[in-house]
Amino acid sequence: MKNNLIRIFTITIFTSMFAFLAAASAKVNVVTSTPDLAAITKEIGKDKVDVTSLAKGYQDPHFVDAKPSYVLKLNRADLLVKQGLDLEIGWLPVLIIGSRNSKISSKDASGYLDASTLLTNVLEVPEVPIDRSMGDIHPLGNPHYLLDPRNGVAVGKGIAERLSEIDPGNSSFYIANYEDFKKLMINKIAGWEQKLSGVKGFDIITYHKLWSYFDNWAGLKEVDTIELKPGIPPSPSHVAKLLTNAGSLDICMVIAANYYPDKTARVVAEKLGVPFVSLPASVGGTEDIKSYSDLFDTIVDRITSVSVGKK
Amino acid sequence: MNILRRSCTAVFCIVLLLSNTVISSATDPEVEQLKRQMEQMQSQMKDMQKKIDDLVERNRKLEGKVVKEEIPVNEKPVTVSTPPFTGKSFLSKSFQSLNPDISAIGLFSAAYYSKDDPLLLAEADPQHTGVNLQEVELGFQSIVDPYFRFDTFISFSKDSVEMEEAYGTTLISLPLNSQLRVGIMKSKFGRINTMHRHTQNFVTLPVVVTRFLGEDFNPPGIEENFLLPLPWYSEFTMAVNYPDVETPSFAEDQDSNNIARLLYNFHLSNFLELSDSLGVNLGASFATGSNGTGRGNRTNLYGLDLYVKYRPIRTSPYQELMLQSEFMYRNAETPEGALDDYGFYTQLVYRFAKRWKAGLRYGLDDTDDPLSFDTELNNKTSVPLAQYNSPVTTALPDQSSGENAGDVLGLFGMEYRISTMLAFTPTEFSLLRLEYDYLNQDFCGDQHAVFLQFQYAIGAHGAHPF
Repeated sequence: MKNNLIRIFTITIFTSMFAFLAAASAKVNVVTSTPDLAAITKEIGKDKVDVTSLAKGYQDPHFVDAKPSYVLKLNRADLLVKQGLDLEIGWLPVLIIGSRNSKISSKDASGYLDASTLLTNVLEVPEVPIDRSMGDIHPLGNPHYLLDPRNGVAVGKGIAERLSEIDPGNSSFYIANYEDFKKLMINKIAGWEQKLSGVKGFDIITYHKLWSYFDNWAGLKEVDTIELKPGIPPSPSHVAKLLTNAGSLDICMVIAANYYPDKTARVVAEKLGVPFVSLPASVGGTEDIKSYSDLFDTIVDRITSVSVGKK
Repeated sequence: MNILRRSCTAVFCIVLLLSNTVISSATDPEVEQLKRQMEQMQSQMKDMQKKIDDLVERNRKLEGKVVKEEIPVNEKPVTVSTPPFTGKSFLSKSFQSLNPDISAIGLFSAAYYSKDDPLLLAEADPQHTGVNLQEVELGFQSIVDPYFRFDTFISFSKDSVEMEEAYGTTLISLPLNSQLRVGIMKSKFGRINTMHRHTQNFVTLPVVVTRFLGEDFNPPGIEENFLLPLPWYSEFTMAVNYPDVETPSFAEDQDSNNIARLLYNFHLSNFLELSDSLGVNLGASFATGSNGTGRGNRTNLYGLDLYVKYRPIRTSPYQELMLQSEFMYRNAETPEGALDDYGFYTQLVYRFAKRWKAGLRYGLDDTDDPLSFDTELNNKTSVPLAQYNSPVTTALPDQSSGENAGDVLGLFGMEYRISTMLAFTPTEFSLLRLEYDYLNQDFCGDQHAVFLQFQYAIGAHGAHPF
């Protein structure tokens, strides 16, 4: 009886091992740090890739727990796509060290893709020497670049090229999917820009310097943040100053990513008599956002619907 | 008169005409030359412009950053990409440095102890009433080459320097999903021993850890970590170490050339991700090695650890509840007989706001067979359980005045400590912590302590502890 149990146990272990190996060999296994990168990779790789994102869409990507289970995911990855510009500095490096995976552990490995290197324009690169009295500032520039859909297209191209390199057999498939994705995005971008033309030049207040790329694209003007400094929660005196300053401007809304505490933002919006808009900042930020273009459908809808009649 | 005026005018006119023709005949070739020169320069400039354009274009291609796609939207072209990002002046250059990441972390505590001679101290616990430097930790970390990285942490206190950790880690894929670490490492025995002071949640070390492992259980060794092929994260560690370490449980053997007398450490860690919000880590450890009390005398140390973290990232992402618990059992051979002692601690830490944490900890250790503290034993000078003048050996009040502080083995009896703390972290890089400790030792009464701890971290951005 005991022997039988041991035998069953052994068989179970071995079959599960085999199942893992088999599953691992079938598709290109991609792990991304953020869900937006995962969504873009899914558009390019479709059924030829398995994509997992470590951070969740409803989660602040600066503060992700370096769970040991993520080590396991990276251990089995053929490609790691990260957002870069130090966004993941608090949690991804330690996971990569633990991964024991040469495919992704070196910065020049074909399985390591820092998507920020695909950008042509990085915003808010500090032009003066910085220190942390300025808050948790990103020395390499603002890392939230995927909130500009045009950057998503550029990243998609890089991912397609990288997938072609890793899996040359399906190269034409990836390139064709990228072309489709680009076409889709071009059409979508045209539509969004038309909608956003109504809010062009509007002044807004945000919670964190998260929307710089979006504002740059949509033509919104971020005049202040509710955070005192990047990563530093607002103090009452800062809020008072913010309200005084904002009084002389024509603020039309206060926006914040839905993972930030919204209490202060709501108070500010109320005091200024403008709407507060809570926005998903990532794919998966709300349940219905399944793809990269869904994200902008939602953001653009919410912004344009509240600002109708303003200014 | 009229004739004179006319003739004068005529002469003037002739002179003017003549001079004009003379001038024009003299300047004509120069103008031509100038014109030609201008034309040449223009064509040269055009060439140069073309060359510059070519170079810029080539440079962009080299940098692999050229994405030129025009999206026709509303008849006006929308460029997918703006001009290439080339970095900014001197700053971008400074990022390309091959120097290691350097960090310095300082821990200071203002302390009040209800007793003159505070009992039960780990090395980096505040040592006395007043202001204490707990430690300053310097870290140097970098990738060595394609195969290894090297991490060094040096701990400074007021009058000593210690190598807390210095080890190389393999970066490449090795057979059996393993990873090799060589050097001085905080051994994977339980959970808290692998954590540096500034990542721990209380000012003082748990009693059982102070008694059994000491401040750092970090013998020099070779450690192999296997990732087991299971559906969940499961890591098996085995390490062989030389027992030259300041720990109360192990020490070099007189017969130190015998490999059976080395210090061996085994650890199994399992992480179960029950949901996005709930993770459980279960671990078991075993260390065995010589204890320095006589030829062939060994200590076997067993440990179990549990860590549960609940963080509802969907509903309140900045709130966390963390339960951490470790149990240890020690069995040691000594000339006076076998020691049989155990201890545990359990702590619950609640992060109730982004920058605030509160915590409660209970820790206890006890022995089944306390060694009587008699003068006969006290007078022996040979057989310390560890050569290290460990806290274990200084815990008796009678003894604090005696000279033979290194001679008593094991625990004297039961002791427990209750700690409660409140911590405020202005940013990730600084921390203030208020803590109250109540220590009760059945062999010498109780003791209260209050701490106000300050932490500062500068330099490279450290990893967030899980």
